[in-house]
Amino acid sequence: MTDLQTAPASDGAQKKPKRRFSLGLDKYSGIYVWAVLVVIFALWIPDLFLSWDNVRTILTFQAISTIVALGLIIPVAAGAFDLTIAGALTVSVCFTAWALLSHKGVVVAVGGALLIGVIIGLANALVVVKFKVDSFIGTLGMSSVLGAIAYMITDGGQLVLSEQGYYPFLDFARTEWLGISAPVYYAGLIAVVIWWVLEYTPGGRYLYAVGGNPVAARLAGVKVARIITLSFIASAVVASFAGVVLLASTANASPDIGLGYLLPAFSAVFLGATQIRPGRVNVLGTIVAILLLATGVTGLQLAGAPTYITQLFNGAALIVAMALASRTARRRS
Amino acid sequence: MTTALSVRHATKIFGAQVALNDVSIDVEPGEVRALVGQNGCGKSTLIKILAGFHAPESGTEVTVGGEKLAFEDPAASEAVGLRFVHQDLGLVGNLDAVDNMAMGSGYITNPTKTIRWRKERAAAGEALAALGYDINVRVPVASLQMSERTAVAIARAMTDRGSPVKMLILDEPTANLPDAEAQRLYALVRRVADTGVAVLFVSHHFDEVFEMADSVTVLRDGNHIITRPVEGLDEEQLIELVVGRKLEAHNKDAADAREHGPEILKLTNVAGGSVTGVDLTVHRGEVVGVAGITGSGREAVAGIIFGGMERSGEITIDGKVLPQNRPDISIERGVALVPAERHANASLIDQTLRENITLVDPGRHVTLGILRRRPERADVRVWLDKLTVKPGGQTEYTMAQLSGGNQQKVILARWLRQEPEVMVMDEPTQGVDVGAKADIHTLIDEAAAQGAAVVVCSTDHEELVRVCDRVVIMRRGVSAATLRGNDITADNITAATIGRGTGDSTEPAD
Repeated sequence: MTDLQTAPASDGAQKKPKRRFSLGLDKYSGIYVWAVLVVIFALWIPDLFLSWDNVRTILTFQAISTIVALGLIIPVAAGAFDLTIAGALTVSVCFTAWALLSHKGVVVAVGGALLIGVIIGLANALVVVKFKVDSFIGTLGMSSVLGAIAYMITDGGQLVLSEQGYYPFLDFARTEWLGISAPVYYAGLIAVVIWWVLEYTPGGRYLYAVGGNPVAARLAGVKVARIITLSFIASAVVASFAGVVLLASTANASPDIGLGYLLPAFSAVFLGATQIRPGRVNVLGTIVAILLLATGVTGLQLAGAPTYITQLFNGAALIVAMALASRTARRRS
Repeated sequence: MTTALSVRHATKIFGAQVALNDVSIDVEPGEVRALVGQNGCGKSTLIKILAGFHAPESGTEVTVGGEKLAFEDPAASEAVGLRFVHQDLGLVGNLDAVDNMAMGSGYITNPTKTIRWRKERAAAGEALAALGYDINVRVPVASLQMSERTAVAIARAMTDRGSPVKMLILDEPTANLPDAEAQRLYALVRRVADTGVAVLFVSHHFDEVFEMADSVTVLRDGNHIITRPVEGLDEEQLIELVVGRKLEAHNKDAADAREHGPEILKLTNVAGGSVTGVDLTVHRGEVVGVAGITGSGREAVAGIIFGGMERSGEITIDGKVLPQNRPDISIERGVALVPAERHANASLIDQTLRENITLVDPGRHVTLGILRRRPERADVRVWLDKLTVKPGGQTEYTMAQLSGGNQQKVILARWLRQEPEVMVMDEPTQGVDVGAKADIHTLIDEAAAQGAAVVVCSTDHEELVRVCDRVVIMRRGVSAATLRGNDITADNITAATIGRGTGDSTEPAD
C-alpha cells in the first residue's frame, strides 16, 4: 500500500518544466485510452455501441460497483486494505431483504443495514488497529465471517421481494430522472462527498498522511488509530448502502450476490491511483478507471465476446495497474 | 610465537581525504587490544580493510599469523583466521542459538542431508559453555539478554570454519549493555584471549578499555598516535591522546549567554527506551543540548519529552503534567518535535511541500467547510521564503524533489509554523549540507530569542557548542553531568560522553 502511495508522484526536479508542455500522458492516459476505446467500438459496432440505451446500461450497471469502489478509496488512502466490502454488501442485501420480508418496515431494514455497516467497520478496526493484524489478512478473515453471516440470514437460499408488495422500497433504485436511474445519482452524490473529504478537508490530509507515513503522521499529532478506524467504518457503511441499492434494483438476495464486486472495486481504485493524481488513490481517477473498464467490457460484450470477458478484463486491469505503479516507483529509486 | 596480526604502512585515501595514513600496528596472540579514536579517525576504515570491504593503497601489507592477507575479499579475510562481530551482532532474532550459529558454518548433517539436531545442539551448547555462558540454545535469541546475544555472536564467530581462528575483531562490544552485563562480557573476552586468540575491539567506551584491554592503539585523523599498555594509563591521559590537545577551558565569552525566562519544561525522574533516569529543567529562551554516545539514552530523550514513546516519571509544561505517548496533546500544549531520521519519522516523501508543512494544522485554512488551497499556498510560501528553501516558492513540489538539507528545513517549517513554546530537536542537521546547517542553527537562535525553550539532542558536538547555553551529558541511561558557559567545548563534550573528562561534575543536571 505504502508502495503505491510513494509511487510515481516524483519524477525529479528536472522533469518538472517538461511536463508543462506535455499532454499529461501520465495523468490522463486513462482518458485517452477510454477515448480510443469509444472510437474503436463506435466504428466497429456503431448501432449497438453508440445508442443512448447502451450509455444508460453502462451507467446503471456500473453505479453499484462505483459506490463500492468509492468507499474502498478511503481505507486504501490511509494505507489499509479492506477486503470486507463485498461481504458487507452481501450482508446488507440479505439483512435488508430479511427485514422487509419479516415486515419490520423500510426504516428498520435500511437503518439496520447501515448500522451493520458501522459494526463491520468497527470490527475491522478492532482486528487491524487493536490486534495489529495486517489489514489484508485481517479483513480477508473478516470477509469469510461475513459470508457465514449472510448464509445464516438467508439459510443458504434466496430471498425474493415480490414486485407488488415492496414498491416504495424498490422505487429507491428504479426511479429515473432525466432518463437516468437513481443509483447513478447516488453514486454521483457519494463521489462528490468523498472527493470533498479527501481533497478539501483536514480529514483527507490526515488520511493521506497516515497512508504515506504513519510514523510521521503520528509524530505530527495525527490520531492514526482513529483515522484508520473511521476509514474502515466509512468503507463498510458505503458498501452497506450499495447493498441496499442493489437489493432495490434486483429484489433478490442470496449469500453469493456480492462475489463479483470485490475485484472490480480494487481494480478501479488501483487503476485510478495512476490517473489524475498519480501516486495516490483518488476519486476522479477511480471514476475514470471505472468508465474505462466498463466501456471496454461492454463494448467487447456487444461485439459478441463471451461473458467471462468481464472477469478477464478486471483481473488484467488490476495487474496492469499495480505493475504501472511499481514501475514508476522503481524508476524513482 | 608468530604475531597474530601485523599491519604495515596501512594507507587509504577517499578522494581528497586521507582516511588512514601509514598506520603500522602489531597484535600478539592472546592479547586484547583496544582501538580508540574520535569519529573519522580511521578506525572503521582499518577494520573494513581487514574485513575485506576496502582495498588499501599500495604499500599496505597485512599478515595474519604470518600469512599474507589478500585485500578486498571477505572470504580471504576469513580464510586467514580473522573473525568479526559487528555492533548489531548480525543475529536473526526469531531463530534460536543453534540456527544462528549454523548460519556461517552450515549444519551438521548425515549422508541424506538430514540435520543432526541433537549433535548440532550439543555443539552449540559446548561452544557457549567454553565462553562461560550457559544458555538455552533452543529459544529465539531475541528473548536472550543482550550480553547472551553477544556471546552467541562471538561463539558463532569463533566456530572453526576450516581455518583456525587467529583473531577476533569486535565493534563496540558493550555499546548497548547495562553495567552488569558488560562485566560478563569482559570475562568472556578474557576467556577468548586465554585460548591464544588475539582480540581487537573498537570502542568509544573508555571504561571497557580499562576493564578489558591489555593495550590500546589510538588513531587520530588517520594517523597512528600511540600503541601502549593500558597499565599506567589513566582516563584523562587517554582522552587527551584521543582528542589531541590538553583539555582546557575554552575562553568563550560568557556575555553572549542569553537572558532566560521562567522555567517551562521540567522532567522529573523520567525513564523510557534507553533512558533510565533523567531530571531536567528548561527555561524559556534557553537552548539546552543533550549529548551522549549511542546507547547512552541520548537517542531517546527527544521522543520521551515529546510523547512519541512510552515512559515513566513526570514531565510538566508550565507546571501542567504532560501525558505520555500522546503527540496530539503535546502539540496542543505547544511542544514540537523535529525527529531524527526524517525519512522514517517526519517526511511524507511523495506529498507536496504544502501538505508536509500544514500537516500539523491544516484546519487553519478551512472556510465554510472547504480547505482553501490559495491561502494555504500563501501561508506555505511565507515559510519556504523564511527558511530559504530551494528551489524557492515551489509549494507543489514533492519532498522527494528536494535535497536533504531543504527537506529538513521543510520539517522545521512545519513546526515553526506552530510557534511552539518547547521545541525538541533530535539530530536537527543530520544529513544536511553545510549551508543549510548554518541556516538551521540561526533558526534555533531565533526561536530561543522569541522565548521558546529548545532542546537539541545531537551527536554533533560542534553543533552543541554553536547553539547551546547548557549541555546535559547522558551516560548509561542517566543525565550524568552538565556543561555550562565556558565549559561547553567540543572536546569537553566528547570527554564527558565517553568517561570522566572535565565535564564530569557532581552537580545534578538541572
